[in-house]
Amino acid sequence: MQFWKTGKVLAVSSPGGHWVQLNKIANKLENKYPVVYASPCSQYALKKNQQRIVHNIFDVSADNKYMLLPLAMQMLYLLLKERPQTILSTGAAPGVVAVMLGKLLGIKTIWVDSIANVQQLSRSGRMIKRHADVVITQWESLSDGKTVLHQGSVL
Amino acid sequence: MIFVATGTQFPFDRLIRYMDEWAADNAETVFAQLGEGSYLPQNMQWQRFISLDDYNEKIRQASVFISHAGMGNIISARENGTPIIVINRQAALGEHRNDHQAEGLQWMGKLDGVYTVTSQQQLYQQLDQRESLLATDVHSESRLDELVNYVDSFISSWHNT
Repeated sequence: MQFWKTGKVLAVSSPGGHWVQLNKIANKLENKYPVVYASPCSQYALKKNQQRIVHNIFDVSADNKYMLLPLAMQMLYLLLKERPQTILSTGAAPGVVAVMLGKLLGIKTIWVDSIANVQQLSRSGRMIKRHADVVITQWESLSDGKTVLHQGSVL
Repeated sequence: MIFVATGTQFPFDRLIRYMDEWAADNAETVFAQLGEGSYLPQNMQWQRFISLDDYNEKIRQASVFISHAGMGNIISARENGTPIIVINRQAALGEHRNDHQAEGLQWMGKLDGVYTVTSQQQLYQQLDQRESLLATDVHSESRLDELVNYVDSFISSWHNT
């Protein structure tokens, strides 16, 4: 009997394009796994489908570092409450915080780098590259076939 | 019909003016969603905001969809099987907080059915050849399914241990 709930996924990202991409992927996982969401965007996320659980989190970017600690406390609470076996993120800062905490707690972590990053992995993607269990780029040219993987894309 | 949309977050008067001037010289019907913009078109139909249903219906009816370089409109264009021409907002003109839309043209231009332009002249050139612009297959989600299956393969491998 393990603490983390088998198969359960926490999908986390910042709002805007990251959130759009996260939903494209995670919504399709819902028919197979229990999926809960975390993003600073719950005001519009809940309207369409009341069954979907979206936790509102602090809107933090890497540019306001002093807010990272409150976000980390919030994320820690969420992880212990929801007990996901897997964290899935498309970025950016909330994903970094979730992946780092997930690593500490022994939760599996999957990073799908944003499609907007064509030339190199995103800044947040480079930060978690050595820490996430799986790092996926949406552009074949950015994959090295070992630490940065590629298969398909949201569009 | 040509559908123009600026999104809901910021106005994009420059695009509306480009399209209004184009509509003055062309017989084709143009419908524009303005947002909070202050430029009011003389030569095309417009509304500030439209419902999500109307928005999708307009995209479906349009021969081509003209938009700011936003990810949401690109996804909607592809889902409705309509080619899309995107033009980036410019921070220097006060059209956005930063220039990420200019950088965005780089990846957007790699997608089937997405045509990127940076100026009025390029926009008009694409409009001149609008009959030959191609859309992606409607509801083609094979790339997404590939990615989702890949993600799923990792989750299920952990699931079973």
